[in-house]
Amino acid sequence: MAGLSMQTMAQAPSMTVVARDGRRPLAVTSINNQDYVSVDDINAAFGTTAREDRLAGGLTITARGRSIVLTENQNVVSVAGRLTTLPAPPLRRDGRWYVPADFLPRALSSALDVRLDWRRSARLLIVGDLRVPRVVARVDAGTTNVAVTFELTPFTDTRVNPQPGRLIVQFDADALDLSIPLLPSQTFVTGIAPGDTANTIAMTLGPRTASHRVTTTQADAGTGRITIDLLPATTDTAPAPAPAPPSAAPDTRLVIPTLGPSTGLRTVVIDPGHGGEELGAQGASGTLEKEVTLSVARRLRTLIESRLGLKVFLTREDDRAMSLDDRSAFANNHHADVFLSIHANTAVRPALKGAEVYYLTVERADAEARRRADENATTLPALGGGSRAIDLILWETAQARHLEQSATLAGMIEQALRPRVEMSPRAIQQAPFRVLVGANMPAALVEIGYLSNAEQETQLASASYQDHVAQALLEALMKFREFIEH
Amino acid sequence: MPALTRRQWIAGATIALVAAVFSTGVFTALSRLLSQPGPSDPDAEAAAPAPAPPPDPAVPKIKATLFFASEDGLHLVPTEREVPLAQGVVAQARSILEAQLAADAPAPLASTIPKGTVLRGIFVSDRNEVFVDLDPSIRTAHPGGAQLELMTVYTIVNAVLTNLPSLQEVQILIGGTEADTLAGHVDLRRPLRKNDVLVARSP
Repeated sequence: MAGLSMQTMAQAPSMTVVARDGRRPLAVTSINNQDYVSVDDINAAFGTTAREDRLAGGLTITARGRSIVLTENQNVVSVAGRLTTLPAPPLRRDGRWYVPADFLPRALSSALDVRLDWRRSARLLIVGDLRVPRVVARVDAGTTNVAVTFELTPFTDTRVNPQPGRLIVQFDADALDLSIPLLPSQTFVTGIAPGDTANTIAMTLGPRTASHRVTTTQADAGTGRITIDLLPATTDTAPAPAPAPPSAAPDTRLVIPTLGPSTGLRTVVIDPGHGGEELGAQGASGTLEKEVTLSVARRLRTLIESRLGLKVFLTREDDRAMSLDDRSAFANNHHADVFLSIHANTAVRPALKGAEVYYLTVERADAEARRRADENATTLPALGGGSRAIDLILWETAQARHLEQSATLAGMIEQALRPRVEMSPRAIQQAPFRVLVGANMPAALVEIGYLSNAEQETQLASASYQDHVAQALLEALMKFREFIEH
Repeated sequence: MPALTRRQWIAGATIALVAAVFSTGVFTALSRLLSQPGPSDPDAEAAAPAPAPPPDPAVPKIKATLFFASEDGLHLVPTEREVPLAQGVVAQARSILEAQLAADAPAPLASTIPKGTVLRGIFVSDRNEVFVDLDPSIRTAHPGGAQLELMTVYTIVNAVLTNLPSLQEVQILIGGTEADTLAGHVDLRRPLRKNDVLVARSP
């Protein structure tokens, strides 16, 4: 490969190997934006041995009597005679051999006959059958209270133990795969961090928290959440029983408005891209666009329903094919006030990553059609005699009349995504996307990341990344609702 | 139904074009034009006596601008290449597009066209709209993803419209018929104009 000479090598955050007998760090080196581990370190950590064959440019790692044969710059490795592919080739640098982190679950695991689970986003390597649930923390700050929510996958029993100045959340697990967002500075909780033991989280309480209330919800067999409401002293709020002022707290990042009668934004249609035999984009490790989009759409629906109380419909509830026009027709038939299509991207260059937001381009043909459509506003006989003007909208022009609002919506989505996920160098674009053409409401298409980038493929498949995206889209919809209702 | 209207219009345009070609007596182009929209014509490529067969070293060449993906994958980079000179706009458009579809990208750039993509036919309406008919294999060969699909579609559109400024718009057909999209995003049911936003500015 011509690109080899341009490879960059840098120290990356190390991974933590979590085993029954404890935790220890394993150094990670970033080569060409991929996580690599040196074979020397693997030998030290797992008791394997390695023998180099300089003539053939190969390396044999022996683990429990089984051989793994690597060849420099070859993605294919042999594990006890069976071939396995790696997302990136083994490399030899300064006399040391490096293998991509995925070598551990894909090759070393079967040679050692031990389960090795590499959770890239949390940088955890879990050895054996340990219970390591994903815990995604979220802080929703209102003006009179703060709710801290931990989404658990899989669901595990949880206890909340109060200590002076803090709450210790203890999970029935061996370790935690933890994702904690940047905290908005506020007065109820000043910090959320891993606790003193591997299965706890410590929440440091701020001066306003006087009491707390724990609610546990088990969504289904696989997931659940625990919500800890941090409440002020009752005397604090007694003189102010008035409805919470919606924007009186400039220090909170997320203001959750109380459920009020909404006039402008009542129904949201979310469109999980692709489906059925139409797979959409595909990552090198097999992540499918159609699955990621459905998962994000479901998460977003849950958030919107519980936080905004709006009606939410998904164009598809399961893995099925659906034409693009049927998707926008679905939104029109449900009188949606916003149409959001969710996709994952592919580029010709694997290095390209980041989220992008699109709204429709209007080409000359559309402008002409729009003019014709406006001329088509016509008078039809109405039931009971008389006549009334009916605005006939041509399919091709439906979106054209909402373009300004769609551009605003796209801008708000971009702003909400930016602090949470990496954005592409072209964060907002216009394009002639078919699924947007017929939507008779403000509409945007969100490309939540690049499946052609190995790092992003792992992110896109992870619950924490999907939650970040859903949270950002929720925030954008809240802003958009404010915008169209004022 | 707009789709039906367009299909009728394509048929109308084809007939009008065929008539125009007849009247000027350009018989070399005729056999190719007649073979355009019919999906039941597997030997259209072989039968078409291309006015400028690429392997002939004696054929004069012209410089044309072809497009490739930039190193960061975000832009289309215009690149000059020699392509066979051909008689007339239709034949020249064909020669340029064939070169674009087959071209290997120069060093740091990458091709946006799936390998093995075949041009079934090309014709131009009297309103200077170009219809580019691609073999359906491009659908299965394309890796998908909106960004790459935009790059592929606008490589084709820009290659035609940049080199032949008298032409206005390009509509891509797949397998001789109108297509919703190539890979699920970009609307192909209407002609597209040249896209300058995706094109990298010259250094």
